[in-house]
Amino acid sequence: MVAVVHTLHRLRKAGHRIAGCFPLYPPTALLHAFGFTPVVLWGLGSDAAELRQSDRHLQPFACAVARELSECLISAGQTTFDAVVSYNACDTLRNLPEILQAASPESGRSLPLLQFHLPAIPLERTVARSYLERNIEKLIAMLETLTRSAFSSRQFFASTTLYLTQHRLAIALEDAVGSGQISFAAGAELLQLAHILPVEEHIARLREQLAACADRGAVHAEPTRVMISGIVPPPVALADAIDAIGLRVVANDIASLHRSYGYAPAASDNPLAYYCDYYLNRPACPTISASADRRLVEIKRLINKSRSQGLIFLGTKFCEYEYFELPQLERMLRAEGIPTLRIELAAATTADSGASQLRLEAFAEMLRQSEHGDD
Amino acid sequence: MAMTSTFSKRAAGQRLTQFVIEDAMRLRQRANEGAFVVWIGVAVPAELFAGFDNVVYAVPESHAALCAAKGVGAQQAEKAERLGYSTDLCSYARIDLGTAFDGGNGSPIFGLPRPDLLVSDNNNCALLCKWFDVHHREWGVPHVVLDVPFCYERQQPADTAYIAAQLRDLVDTVAQLSGQRFEIDRVREAVKHSCAALQLWKQFLDLARDRPAGISAFDSFVQMAPIVSARGSERLVAHLQRLVEETRQQIARGEFPVADERYRLLWDGIAPWPQLRKMFGRLAAQGANVISASYTYCIGSLEGEIALFAYHGEEPIDYLARLQNATVCPQGMALRIAAMRRAISHYDVDGVIFASNRSCKVYSLMQIDQMRRIREAVPIPCVMIDVDHADARKYAEEAVFSRLEAFLESIDDARA
Repeated sequence: MVAVVHTLHRLRKAGHRIAGCFPLYPPTALLHAFGFTPVVLWGLGSDAAELRQSDRHLQPFACAVARELSECLISAGQTTFDAVVSYNACDTLRNLPEILQAASPESGRSLPLLQFHLPAIPLERTVARSYLERNIEKLIAMLETLTRSAFSSRQFFASTTLYLTQHRLAIALEDAVGSGQISFAAGAELLQLAHILPVEEHIARLREQLAACADRGAVHAEPTRVMISGIVPPPVALADAIDAIGLRVVANDIASLHRSYGYAPAASDNPLAYYCDYYLNRPACPTISASADRRLVEIKRLINKSRSQGLIFLGTKFCEYEYFELPQLERMLRAEGIPTLRIELAAATTADSGASQLRLEAFAEMLRQSEHGDD
Repeated sequence: MAMTSTFSKRAAGQRLTQFVIEDAMRLRQRANEGAFVVWIGVAVPAELFAGFDNVVYAVPESHAALCAAKGVGAQQAEKAERLGYSTDLCSYARIDLGTAFDGGNGSPIFGLPRPDLLVSDNNNCALLCKWFDVHHREWGVPHVVLDVPFCYERQQPADTAYIAAQLRDLVDTVAQLSGQRFEIDRVREAVKHSCAALQLWKQFLDLARDRPAGISAFDSFVQMAPIVSARGSERLVAHLQRLVEETRQQIARGEFPVADERYRLLWDGIAPWPQLRKMFGRLAAQGANVISASYTYCIGSLEGEIALFAYHGEEPIDYLARLQNATVCPQGMALRIAAMRRAISHYDVDGVIFASNRSCKVYSLMQIDQMRRIREAVPIPCVMIDVDHADARKYAEEAVFSRLEAFLESIDDARA
């Protein structure tokens, strides 16, 4: 988390107006169009000592994402952020705004809090679509009041163009990870920066990395191919272990990675149409109720398309959304002959990575043996 | 002289048991005879189904609570855990899934009849939708989600309209799937019955205003069951009428749950079903009575209130939509605190127990700040204890009672 806070301070010094966004899929392009640098507060990493502020407000059975986000907003919120944006992403996150808004009253300033409700019913339904449109209109009105500037469709078009570019480059980098041109650890770290860096800076970093990958050329070794799923990427030690063991991450279904950048609508000057498209067509996610029916189908498609030999599920402890789906997902994959491995990640559990590494090694060995068995 | 009553297991308790059993048998019989069966989340407005000739509903949360109260919660939950469902999942969900996967075995009422339709809502808990999705995928049964926006402030007209539109869509879906005709006037009648029942419910809760209180919140926990299973029915009104009359008679006779009442407490959280009897007994032995609970005073009220939101003959679907936040979980902290402050004053409460419940994050992950603010605003002694509403394995009785005993001492200190 320290590194993230340093980055935020750097941006602040450089004059950025930072909108701290609750995960998972906030309307970043809209915030950008109003001159904010949107920062999505997840994957912050932590150790136990860093969660002291959060622990004064949340029980330890809140997930790591909520605890780390709370820690960041309470300890650095008043001096770092110009606004906080949240939506009903999950049961835990919807409980937090009032806690965090009042957590640092001694600063004498309450952070502007912008909220909207994302319909949990399919956006193909007129009632849901019009409700979302009304909510986006309300959000725009709040932003206009906060920034004292009118919405600009031209600026929104420019912002959505940037996010579309970022999406395309992120997919390209994901492909580079899949083809072995860059390690999973390095790729995931750069992709995760999408949530912290200004989109323009992130695009530049992606381009730079992709150019380096192109120089390196294709990697011909035949790896053991796995898909990875979960809320956030593994801690650095575990990501390094995945690479060191010789597992190649050829597809990811991580909420803060592929599920975040996996879809961007075409550039648009119409925020209502853009966000209906954005929330309707994005990758299925357990937190998006309306996508429930297509989630298992999409996972299966990703597995097949990437020719993954196994799935590693990185569970975020206490994320019930993921855990409700997992047994049926595992059963479906077993029926397809795809082995799965569950690893559970909690806040401040890097000490556990040794045990997780061992399990990863055993899983990799099993995949290799079954590969040879097939031969 | 006031006497401690064994009230809950005498007439009222026996009638309650009979009511629950009859409801379960009626449900199963009608399902066997071809009724269209809907499984609903507890906050789904069941009065809508009265608009059809032959639609019955079951509430898995209520069934899970029954399992927990009857001491089989953990064993049913383990059945789901063995199939890969995490022990961190809500214990109601694990009990229900375990029971369903095992064909109803182990349940006091042999589980619930297989549904034709699942209807969940996300106001109490969005995870209910995930839980029902498991059944949806397992059995191929259609699943309708009702999306109810979370309230940081009182529900806005646009939100009411959004919810009402979904309720009308739900009616169309049930009509289409069941092939039955819908009559709104029947719903109107059901809503009238519900409102009459809720009025009686508020009267029942208000019997805790006496000193000593005429009821314990633990009585109100168990007496919630018919409100869940028989919503919109005349028999619910009759049941609650008798309950109120009988309790008044007991008070007149000088029979009280805790005759030697020295501490009047408020409970914030879901009922701790496996511990009800023992927790009541241990508290009563120290002169403490939990006389009110956010879990029960919210029923029939708008967000931030404890008074009845009455029905005055308006469009019933609009009324039902407006009442969709009548549980604690869809409400933000300011609203929860507003209602709690009203209850503390209305029932003249000495202290608040916040029951932090790892099976219910929506209820719990606000309580630390809520407790702090209540302490500052009222001010009143408060304590937080760890419970699980249905999984007895996650409850440490002695640790809880160490805190509760210290809490009672803090009330004495505050008085001194």
